Amino acid sequence: MADPTPELLTDILGTVFQETAFMFVEPAEEPDQWDPTVFSATLAFESVRGGTLRLTAAVPVGVELAANMLGCDAADPEAVENGRAAISEVLNVIGGAFVTRYFGTKVPSQLGLPQAALEPRVAPAKRTAAASVRAESGDPILLELDLE
Amino acid sequence: MALDMLVVDDSPVTRKMVRRAIGLCGLEIGQVHEAGDGAEALARLAEHRVDMVLADINMPVMNGMELVERMSGDPVLSRIPVIIVATPMSEQRIERLLDIGARAYLAKPFRPEALKDLVLEILGKGESHG
Repeated sequence: MADPTPELLTDILGTVFQETAFMFVEPAEEPDQWDPTVFSATLAFESVRGGTLRLTAAVPVGVELAANMLGCDAADPEAVENGRAAISEVLNVIGGAFVTRYFGTKVPSQLGLPQAALEPRVAPAKRTAAASVRAESGDPILLELDLE
Repeated sequence: MALDMLVVDDSPVTRKMVRRAIGLCGLEIGQVHEAGDGAEALARLAEHRVDMVLADINMPVMNGMELVERMSGDPVLSRIPVIIVATPMSEQRIERLLDIGARAYLAKPFRPEALKDLVLEILGKGESHG
C-alpha cells in the first residue's frame, strides 16, 4: 500500500472544514513562522497501520470553527472559549474520514481520543505526509500524518 | 407530541452542534439533555425519561458501544432508540453496533435533514421508499 499523498490529506481537510463548519480552505505554502501560540491537536489511530494525525491552526481559525459550529458570532465569548474544543472535534472527524478513505471500510479501524491545546507550534519529529491550506481569512492550517 | 432527547458526546462543541441541528431539523422537540460520556448518560437516563438517545462512540470513561450494550441489557432502557452519531467507521463496527441494539448510525458531519429522516424512520413516520 502506497503512503497517503498530500492531495488526499488536502481533500479530506477541505471537505471536513466545509461540511463541519462551512469554512472554505485552499492549498497554500506551509508557513515558515507561526504565531507564538496556535491550536494544536493530535489523534492516534490503529488500522492496517497505526499512526498519528496532528492538526495545527492559527487561533482565529479555531474561533471561527467554533462560531460556525455553534451558530454564533466569532466575537461571541462562547466561540472564543470553544476554539480548542472545535479544533479537537474537527480532527476527530478528519481522523474518521482518513482511516475509512485510506484503509477502507472493510478493515477494523480505531481512533484514539483527540488531545488539543493552545501552545507554541512544535514540529513533529517525523511525518509521512502533510497538507497545508489557508482559511478565507488567510490564516494557516496544517494537517500532518505520521504513519508507523 | 414533543420529543425529549439525550445527546451524549464528550465534545461540548459537538453537543451544542447536535442540539442546534435538532432545533433546525423541523421536529417538535421538548427537553434536550446532555451527557459527556456513557456513564453520565446512564445517570441522566435514571433521572429523566427521554424518547431517543443520540450518542457518539469514541468517548472516555464509558464509550458509546458500552452504553448501547448497557441500555440493551436493561428492560426499561432497551425500549429507548439509540442513534449513533459518530465519525466514519468500518462496516464491521457499524454492524456490531446495530447487532447490540443501536437503531441507526449517522456519520459526522451530517445535515439536519438527515437526522430528521432517521428520527422519523425510527418513529415509524418516515416516507416509505419500498
